[in-house]
Amino acid sequence: MRTRGKAPVLVLGVGNALLRDDGVGLRLLSDLSPEGRSWDAEIEFLDGGTQGLALLGRIAGRRALLILDAVNLGAAPGTVHVLREWRDCAARSATAHESNVSELLAVSTLLGECPEKVAIVGIEPHRIATGMELSDPVARALPAALEAARGLLLELTEAAVPEVERGRKPVDSFGPMVIPFGMR
Amino acid sequence: MARRVVVDPVTRIEGHLRIEAVLDDRGVIRDAISSGTMWRGLEVILQGRDPREAWAFCERICGVCTTVHALASVRSVENALKIQVPRNADHIRNIMALTQMVQDHVMHFYHLHALDWVDVVSALKADPAATATLAQKVSPDWPTASPGYFREIQATVKKFVDSGQLGIFANAYWGHPAYKMPPEANLMAVAHYLEALQWQKEIIKIHTIFGGKNPHPNYLVGGMACAISMQGDHAINIERLNQVRDLITEARRVVEGLYVPDLLAVASFYPEWTKLGGGLGNYMSYGDIPQNGIDDPAHYRFPRGIVVGRDLSHVLPVDPTDSGQVREEVAHSWYDYPQGKDALHPWEGVTKARYTGPKAPYQQLDENAKYSWLKAPRWKGLPMEVGPLARVLVGYAGGRSDFKEVVSEALGRLKLPPAALFSTMGRTAARGLETRLAVRWLAEEYDSLVANIKAGDTATANTKRWEPESWPADVKGCGFCEAPRGALGHWVHIAAGKIANYQIVVPSTWNASPKDGKGQHGAYEAALLDTPMADPERPIEILRTIHSFDPCLACASHVIGPNGRKLAEVVVR
Repeated sequence: MRTRGKAPVLVLGVGNALLRDDGVGLRLLSDLSPEGRSWDAEIEFLDGGTQGLALLGRIAGRRALLILDAVNLGAAPGTVHVLREWRDCAARSATAHESNVSELLAVSTLLGECPEKVAIVGIEPHRIATGMELSDPVARALPAALEAARGLLLELTEAAVPEVERGRKPVDSFGPMVIPFGMR
Repeated sequence: MARRVVVDPVTRIEGHLRIEAVLDDRGVIRDAISSGTMWRGLEVILQGRDPREAWAFCERICGVCTTVHALASVRSVENALKIQVPRNADHIRNIMALTQMVQDHVMHFYHLHALDWVDVVSALKADPAATATLAQKVSPDWPTASPGYFREIQATVKKFVDSGQLGIFANAYWGHPAYKMPPEANLMAVAHYLEALQWQKEIIKIHTIFGGKNPHPNYLVGGMACAISMQGDHAINIERLNQVRDLITEARRVVEGLYVPDLLAVASFYPEWTKLGGGLGNYMSYGDIPQNGIDDPAHYRFPRGIVVGRDLSHVLPVDPTDSGQVREEVAHSWYDYPQGKDALHPWEGVTKARYTGPKAPYQQLDENAKYSWLKAPRWKGLPMEVGPLARVLVGYAGGRSDFKEVVSEALGRLKLPPAALFSTMGRTAARGLETRLAVRWLAEEYDSLVANIKAGDTATANTKRWEPESWPADVKGCGFCEAPRGALGHWVHIAAGKIANYQIVVPSTWNASPKDGKGQHGAYEAALLDTPMADPERPIEILRTIHSFDPCLACASHVIGPNGRKLAEVVVR
């Protein structure tokens, strides 16, 4: 039976689906979350859109957090990034609208609420422009990114949810929820 | 010899803004350019669409100042079709608008503006016991103020800063001589900043209760899309009303116990900023928060009016439907107007973009040519400042007792004359003062809503003119509201049941406006003039004044990046 309160593991997809590759995190989330039905009911999937600091309450109280997003590290477009140390990314966004994940995690840390285990899986974007379609290099990278996310999710869940709480059959009607916040 | 300071992008705002300031040889700003990008694509997207859904598109102009465009949009359609919304809908809309304003203003102060006045790194040198003494004096009604509490906050911030990454504290000029607050005041402010961050996600639940979600809660032409029923699980029932009441009470505690005391404390350390950044001296408010329906401006909580030339003895009337009043010019804007037209009222508005500026990357813009993506709105040819200071001055000048009360109290505490309001600090203080009024009004609107429900009225929408068959063939409407940043207007032309034309003039267009055909500066530009800069390489003075306006321009993209450079630019035409 699912424990009361928040699921200990949160998979958070963020991005702007109206700005092409900027929304790749949301695409990864929607590809990953149906698989959640075969996982423990201890994982919550959430579309955080571009909500920025409004997500503070959502990530608090978790033992592990997996973020799916576009990640720009100056690599070739379509490169899949797996970040276990989010502090490597600058926590500075130029405007209040640049709902920057680094800033979210930095503020969460300051408030003493950041989950102990945080990892980010992302794809280096190619085109940030108005539109709904992912660019070719990014679309081609989806399977590899999904594979990486799957693996990381398993790792995070095993670390976050002790043996004694696991091994329960998922209840079908109680599957993880995908709550759409952003525009699709 | 003239020096030119370029700040691009201006950080800790919404959107993309570039400021260029020309300094004389004593480092005083003598000329200024405000250049911005602006999402105006909505006007094209809405062409040919059903006016009943325009609000949903418009609301997406901005997710930070959410609700305001939805409200102005439904009002414009209701105005065109002569639809009167039920009392409850007005109360609910008022509650949502005031909720937005309160959350927005508190967050602006702590998250966007405070770092111009508060030196976070200095907070690390503070004595926690002395900080506790200060905090207990400044905000006696705030419970967390012990030495242990401040010691803990200080240790947390130290760990953060020591990790090498200033993070959210990065966009400021630490150690600049312009910071005047002692370390204890800085530590207190940082602690309160963190408290405000915790609180801001709570108050916004009011939007979720009445509007289904936040950002972008749902509105409806004719009223609000929520049902009131004491029996329903999914309606606005007793439980939800109680939740709203509790959130309002908490908001009042935060505003009166935390935000306003901190604001006045900060103001007391920077008296010279009550003489800088005044700017235009012209203020405009469309008025808002109707008590007796939108067609009765005499009973708006925020009064409608205009003050010109800092003359508080006269409040002039304003009518956004009058084609001789509000008009937009493009003399210094990257748009083309039809031959022979210099200024257009929004009902005749034309958005034809044509970029004639320098090719990027460029060193500077040409103040004698076109230099901004913002048009220049003018009222009877005059540039206007809109926003909290405009609203407070219009209320004060109009003799409204509640406005006079909060203004006099603040001026009394700081021992300042009314002239101090015409400044960067005055603008910043006005934001806090109107928030004091807003939390009071929130409680009153809530009480009125509950009284109405108790009297048996649970209507939230008027659907009598929902069907296009009931509409005139060709009709125009104007919807407006006083958004947190100022006067916002939507003008719609509906023909054969569809939107034929739609124009939006937002508060930051007024404030960030470039010069007009007569060379008159917009509000930001005017406010920067005559400001001395201590160190042009660290333009904190520019940031202090620009931030006092709480700019909100376009929506930029977001991508996690390596070292904080501007990561991607989306220029929207």
